[in-house]
Amino acid sequence: MNWNPNDMDTYIQQKEYIDTLLVPLLKLETNPENMKSSSSSTEFLMYLSTFIENQFKGRIMLLPPFSHTQSMDLEILTETLQKDISLLSFKHVFYLTTDSNWTSSKLENVIWLPSIPLESMDKQLRQKIIEDQLRQVLPLLTKKWTE
Amino acid sequence: MSKNRVSRRQFLSYSLMGVGGFMISGTLMPMLRFAVDPVLQKSGIGDFTPTPQKVDELTDTPVRVDYTIKDRKDAWYESDVSYTAWVYKDGDAIIALSPVCKHLGCTVNWGSEGHPNEFFCPCHAGRYTKNGANVKGTPPIGPLDEYEVMVKDGLLYLGGTKPNTLV
Ligand code: FES
Repeated sequence: MNWNPNDMDTYIQQKEYIDTLLVPLLKLETNPENMKSSSSSTEFLMYLSTFIENQFKGRIMLLPPFSHTQSMDLEILTETLQKDISLLSFKHVFYLTTDSNWTSSKLENVIWLPSIPLESMDKQLRQKIIEDQLRQVLPLLTKKWTE
Repeated sequence: MSKNRVSRRQFLSYSLMGVGGFMISGTLMPMLRFAVDPVLQKSGIGDFTPTPQKVDELTDTPVRVDYTIKDRKDAWYESDVSYTAWVYKDGDAIIALSPVCKHLGCTVNWGSEGHPNEFFCPCHAGRYTKNGANVKGTPPIGPLDEYEVMVKDGLLYLGGTKPNTLV
């Protein structure tokens, strides 16, 4: 499900089935020399998140990306974010990011993947790469689901 | 006095009409959306999209066929969108099933681990037989949709989806 009013109506009726929230964590780098790489990892992260949502539409709600700039304090963000997200009462919450800084934060269930520059690939290769990435993520999801 | 001048009274009634019109469209819009949506899911009825699948390579085992429709807008991401179909031969007929689960819309797979010879939905363990019929006792509430199928120059073309005709 996407974070839009139509899907939200479905969610409200089918809460017991749509029990997983996926939160993309997006780092926006504002130093001019990092803009290109930042936009590239943004594309990768959004592409992958959208693909995961598409495959698991009936089980996963995809939150619009939670974005921060490079100087924001992850400790503080973690605390606030976790508290606020817990209000949503999803049974499972996963954070998806290409920013390795989150792996050393206190945030739970962070899935970290290195960013892959999709912009240099043709459609088929891009699709294949994204599917490969999903195959990496999948065991983490199913493990939680079957716990 | 010019005829075009809007009097205070006219202005008031126009603006009230505006508000009324807005309220009506508020109630109509969702209905319209429901009516129009299934058509919009593909780029127009009667439109066939070529797939890379050669027809003479098809067997009676479903294979995954991916194809792309250009320039669809999706959520906040705008790009060409990939579609998938599960395609097999039943005698001479080509059957193409939609992978969209009839429970809550996850993508189903053929022959996944532990589920040979059936379509399986990983989200809530929904199951379907080869012709798309939902297995009773699993969450899906209907059979998988079918694609309109066309063959041209030995290649498979897929059109819009229609309710399953095999079950
Ligand atoms: S979405 Fe397929 S079983 Fe629930």
